[in-house]
Amino acid sequence: MNYSFDWSVLWRYREQLLGGLVITLLLSLMAMAGALAVGVSAGAAAESERPLLRRIAAGYVEIARNIPLLVHLYFWYLGLTALKIPAFWCGVLGLSLYSGAYVAEIVRAGLQGVPAGQRAAGLALGLSPALVLRLVVYPQALRIVAPSLAGLFSQLIKDSSLASVISVTELTFVAGAIEGDTFRTFEAYIGITVLYLVLATTIAQVTLWTLRSELVEPAMRD
Amino acid sequence: MGLSVLARNLPYLAGAFALTLETAALVIVGGTVAGVLLGLARSTRGRALRGAVALYIGLIRGTPLLVVLFVVYFAVPSLTGHRFTAYEAAVIGFIAFIAAYIAEDVRSGIRSVPRGQIEAALASGLSRGQVVRLVVLPQAIRRMIPALFNQFVRLLKFTSVASAIGVTELTGATLAVNAREFQPLPLLTGLALAYFAACYALSLVGRWLNRRYAIPG
Amino acid sequence: MMRMTRWRAVGLAAVLAVLGTLASARADGTLDAIKARHKLIAGVKNDTPPFGYIDEKNEVVGFDIDIVREIAKALGVDLELVKVTSPTRIPLLVSGNIDLSAASMTHTREREGAIDFSITYYTGAQSLMVPADSPIKGLGDLAGKTVAVQQGTTLEKTLATLAPDAKVQSFRDYTTAWLALRQGRADAFTGSYDVLRGFAREAPGFQIVGGKFSLEPFGIGIRHGDWQLRNLVNAVLQDLWISGRYREIYQKWFQIEPDIPIETWPKG
Repeated sequence: MNYSFDWSVLWRYREQLLGGLVITLLLSLMAMAGALAVGVSAGAAAESERPLLRRIAAGYVEIARNIPLLVHLYFWYLGLTALKIPAFWCGVLGLSLYSGAYVAEIVRAGLQGVPAGQRAAGLALGLSPALVLRLVVYPQALRIVAPSLAGLFSQLIKDSSLASVISVTELTFVAGAIEGDTFRTFEAYIGITVLYLVLATTIAQVTLWTLRSELVEPAMRD
Repeated sequence: MGLSVLARNLPYLAGAFALTLETAALVIVGGTVAGVLLGLARSTRGRALRGAVALYIGLIRGTPLLVVLFVVYFAVPSLTGHRFTAYEAAVIGFIAFIAAYIAEDVRSGIRSVPRGQIEAALASGLSRGQVVRLVVLPQAIRRMIPALFNQFVRLLKFTSVASAIGVTELTGATLAVNAREFQPLPLLTGLALAYFAACYALSLVGRWLNRRYAIPG
Repeated sequence: MMRMTRWRAVGLAAVLAVLGTLASARADGTLDAIKARHKLIAGVKNDTPPFGYIDEKNEVVGFDIDIVREIAKALGVDLELVKVTSPTRIPLLVSGNIDLSAASMTHTREREGAIDFSITYYTGAQSLMVPADSPIKGLGDLAGKTVAVQQGTTLEKTLATLAPDAKVQSFRDYTTAWLALRQGRADAFTGSYDVLRGFAREAPGFQIVGGKFSLEPFGIGIRHGDWQLRNLVNAVLQDLWISGRYREIYQKWFQIEPDIPIETWPKG
């Protein structure tokens, strides 16, 4: 095999790689926000007393989870052609609704994990049901699910690479562009592998620290 | 009008769907075997092996599936001189990928078996190998059923990513038909329904198995 | 945690460096390998009509496919078609996944740094495609407009040079770029003239404008050092021209006479 590695290509294309990294981060952050919004609502609805809400939430989770992410993305990008949603937002929508189903399950498990006695105690103290949820149940649920959420965020960063298929100029797409320009396939893909590794691990750790410190500190203040 | 484009291309799409299911079955079996072996190796006593396996698992778990497929299809042949077809590269990539995740599930499954049982088994004269085979693994696998089926459904969904390296499974075939006919909405809706049916069915099988074989408590 | 990440990256780089140095130069025996396995593995496009695309019978057909079929016939071996796209046609050749690449590939001096080419077997030109009611009539009207193009092509670079004020949007493959125009995500689509004609046949409501700019001589890609295979491919191409078979294939796919002949050399 007449192949000599040329790792300098990664340095020469550092601007494009940085650009791709920024898009990956933006995409992942917005999708995480969307997933949280959708997932917390769905997770809470799944634990609600009203059967209709529970069924809608369950329906959403089953449908979103059992369709591949790629198909989600293509659906927004190609399926809803008439809407002409820009590729980046198709990425955000697809990732949010797909990951939202997983957030919903995590939230549901978290809410179930809070001992029933806590809610009763809160009500006994004279707090309204809404306040009980906000001040007693949710913070404890968050503490329970913090590791799972951190793992999900890290997974989302890796899932974002699929957005390259609908031409979002994130990291994997940039690797493809570098490959098309220089034919240095291996350097390009190994390069982004390392970047994803660092990114995914760092984000997971940072998320964990943030969630834990946000939750531990208020408790310690009292 | 939407249904006619599906009807016209049904033989082609049905064939691609069959390929998707076959591939999923293949990588489910291969990935589970590889994952169990890896998971056992992860808990072995030899430090070099443990470290190497841990490195592999950490590497794969931090890498997107799409990138793993690209590396297997493009990078590996150039270094080993052995070519893969796109299909082979996809199968190898999927197995290599899911094994790292199943290995971690296996590790938790093994650790969930109460230590008391292992010690009792060793005390009653069974060898280490026998304890693993007769006491630990059966219980670990029963506890792992939900986690395993999670991975199996994931794999079924992953087959769609093979379209990115040119495998004509269901997603690739649907896109090819759309490129010619340009009827994205009915085609993509059909695509989503097909995956939903297959994945939901698989997850129901998992839930049934779990109800039947789960260890109570 | 961060220390583990750094170690993983170092470990990966070390493994790859070792593998890279261990990789031995492959003996230039692709022709022998083809004969030994009795099969020619050719990289062709699946999404670039009329060079390589999928027809209503869901089979891969096209000008490039017919050409490689002739090469396989001359070698007396079977043919296996591997799908490639513009960004992947050279990497797949270099990595050994395919023996040659007949994928609407323009012969450029830069690409010669990575692979060898056969003699030119088709000469095309670049052009623009727009919706029938578009105000764009040529390169001059592209300022500020979005132009879809495939990644990893000479088309991308040429357009950037000839229309610097256009917004060039690149896509993974020809189909996705064409779909972008069809969906209205792009104002124009640039590609090889005959490819655009191929797409236009599928979808009324689009027209080709801007005339033909930039010459695109296509060559079949072969790995560096595979001189026996290249000589054979060149011989087959020349024989196709001499026998008139090339004209048949050309007319079948382009409906016109070939205007530029394939260069032929005397046998001895």
